[in-house]
Amino acid sequence: MMLKYIGNRILQIAILLVIYVAIVFFLLHAMPGGIKTLLISNPKLTPQAQEAIIRAFGLNQPLWLQFVDYMKNVFTLNLGISFSYYPTPVWNIIAERLPRTVLLFTVATLIAFFVGFASGKSLAWNRGKTTEYVSTVVGIITYTIFTPLLIFVVIWFFGSFLGIFPLNQFLNPDLWIHTRLNAQIIFLYILMTMVIIGAVMLASYTIALRFSHKVITRRMIFYLSSIISVIFSIFFWWVSPVGIYAADILWHMVLPVMTVTIISYAGTMLVMRDSMLETIKEDFITTARAKGLPDKVVRDKHAARTAMLPVVTNFVLSLGFVVSGGVITETLFSWPGMGMTLLDSTLAKDYPLAAGALIFTGIFVLIAHLVVDIVYAFLDPRIRY
Amino acid sequence: MKPILELRNLKMYYDTQAGQVKAADDVSFVLNEGESIGLVGESGCGKTSVSMSIMKLLPENGRIISGNIFFDGKDIVNFSDEEMNKIRWAGIAMIFQAAMNSLNPVYRVGDQIVEAITAHEPNVTFEEARQRVANLYKLVGLDPERMDNYPHEYSGGMKQRAIIAMSLACNPKLIIADEPTTALDVIVQDTILRELEKVQKKLNMSMIYISHDIAVIAEVASRIAIMYAGKIVEMSDSVVIFKRPAHPYAIGLMSSFPSIRGEKKELVTIPGEPPNLLNAPDHCRFAPRCPFATDECWKQTPSYSEIESNHFVACFHPQNLKKLVNMNA
Ligand SMILES: Nc1ncnc2c1ncn2[C@@H]1O[C@H](COP(=O)(O)OP(=O)(O)OP(=O)(O)O)[C@@H](O)[C@H]1O
Ligand SMILES: [Mg+2]
Repeated sequence: MMLKYIGNRILQIAILLVIYVAIVFFLLHAMPGGIKTLLISNPKLTPQAQEAIIRAFGLNQPLWLQFVDYMKNVFTLNLGISFSYYPTPVWNIIAERLPRTVLLFTVATLIAFFVGFASGKSLAWNRGKTTEYVSTVVGIITYTIFTPLLIFVVIWFFGSFLGIFPLNQFLNPDLWIHTRLNAQIIFLYILMTMVIIGAVMLASYTIALRFSHKVITRRMIFYLSSIISVIFSIFFWWVSPVGIYAADILWHMVLPVMTVTIISYAGTMLVMRDSMLETIKEDFITTARAKGLPDKVVRDKHAARTAMLPVVTNFVLSLGFVVSGGVITETLFSWPGMGMTLLDSTLAKDYPLAAGALIFTGIFVLIAHLVVDIVYAFLDPRIRY
Repeated sequence: MKPILELRNLKMYYDTQAGQVKAADDVSFVLNEGESIGLVGESGCGKTSVSMSIMKLLPENGRIISGNIFFDGKDIVNFSDEEMNKIRWAGIAMIFQAAMNSLNPVYRVGDQIVEAITAHEPNVTFEEARQRVANLYKLVGLDPERMDNYPHEYSGGMKQRAIIAMSLACNPKLIIADEPTTALDVIVQDTILRELEKVQKKLNMSMIYISHDIAVIAEVASRIAIMYAGKIVEMSDSVVIFKRPAHPYAIGLMSSFPSIRGEKKELVTIPGEPPNLLNAPDHCRFAPRCPFATDECWKQTPSYSEIESNHFVACFHPQNLKKLVNMNA
């Protein structure tokens, strides 16, 4: 049942993806002057290069043939050559930058989700206290605030006022100038470490669920293996000669991650609070209480677990909002990911790169959508049928 | 016979913007071990409020104003939540009025019953608890294979049976069944009630049945207490109440329901509006609808009189049903 559901969702997302890519194609053709003028009217290009582009893109062919070629090219990752980084292929630029955005979003989203979930939960549970009013007001402010304004506040407070975090770039050039290390490789290693830690946590959670029915043992297994894997990876990076460079990259990540976290945190918290307040009124909560379960168990196992479902749904809906916030965040922090690429390439009229960035940002959002859908199916037994 | 539950002048009020809702006012009764009592009254008369007071699961605006609730010899009115958690389910279990929504949609039904067992008996292993649930499933007429299904895969009747199985999970001394069958069709209703009665007798548990349908209750409970507007107005053995109801409200109530066995009765409907418990008056609360009301009834609340052995009525003018029927005829 579950597999069938997941299969269906993957198929749907795949269809959406094709439609999305097609829409990008027609958007490009609908631009003033047409794609041909747009592509070749770049002063940096020599006539030979212009000729090459026209041939490579088949710009003299009929529209439908161009469309077929374009679809073929996109799905074979043949996205053309960037103007502004001539002659680097667009795909190489995207392959370098996409992981940065994925990391920024995943880390920020996970933090925002868990913090928002936990705070929304306890706000609803301890209703009527001053903390509830204060946090709700703060939540609504951060939820409705104009994103650039929020970023300026963050930059001013942490970068200038406290002066503890670096304000721009992906790394500190003064540090990296003395080495011939490739930052991208280090970054990918960091990403890999995080994936491994995540996998260990997921595996230990599944194992704990399967092999023990005692809550305490389950927790022990989960926390112990998580802590051990984190300590182990920190130790590994510590002794490795490139640890300091990894630390530099992470250090530069703190503010952008914090900003994206704040952008998506408030939504999670507010929805969780509302949903929890509704759930508490449900009859099965009264049942749980009547069973004589401790307050904490009623709150976490019964109320919060069920109240979480609308939060996940809301997350899907706010994905677009978070992405647009991410574009602004990346740009203002000069974090060279997909968001910044999207903006810069559009401003520089680097259309192949802009199209590539647009396509892959879309793919990223669609995949995030798919992941959340699958997670939701695991959370809500009613959806699987 | 040892009393398992005793309510002594229990007053439970809700605070609302409009004033106090006196949902339970001077409610008293004694329930012995192995005995069953039926609490009957029309919608809104405070039946659920009484049972929630016994479980001490009141909403934020509900308060026990005064009175005592003795369970197993101890007054639980001032018990803390932690102390109550030991009594809940292990001592007093409950079958809720809204059985359809009483199960958490995201957990397997069997696991929700196992949870109740392991919460109160930490030494029971998961497998032992599951075995016990399987036995309970058989007892209430459910296929133990369905333990691993989710609530949405159950029909209404199955959910109801599962909840009954859940209420039996910790061998409680007392079960409160708040309209355990209202959502079901008449045939299933009858079977489930009978099963419940059988189990109760077999396990020698005490039981409080709550319903607005006196005919249904009379078949399963040995004693009946009739509630009107937050007060018990008449209480006696089921047979006595059924044959010789004395309170005008009880007489009206008796006649407005056809028995599920299909016996037809003269229909004497109760005229007037159901009472409003908001800022309830100091006189007899049934007076506005009572054909026999006199000045006395509008001045003070009647106290209980024992019109025959173990038959209590709170009325200034207890009636005789036989005479009334003859008069009408
Ligand atoms: N939380 C609450 N706040 C205020 N008033 C309430 C609250 N809960 C119940 N009441 C009122 O208390 C009275 C008794 O309600 P209760 O639920 O005990 O009735 P009931 O006899 O169980 O009715 P039913 O047969 O419909 O279930 C009603 O008048 C109801 O409106
Ligand atoms: Mg009720």
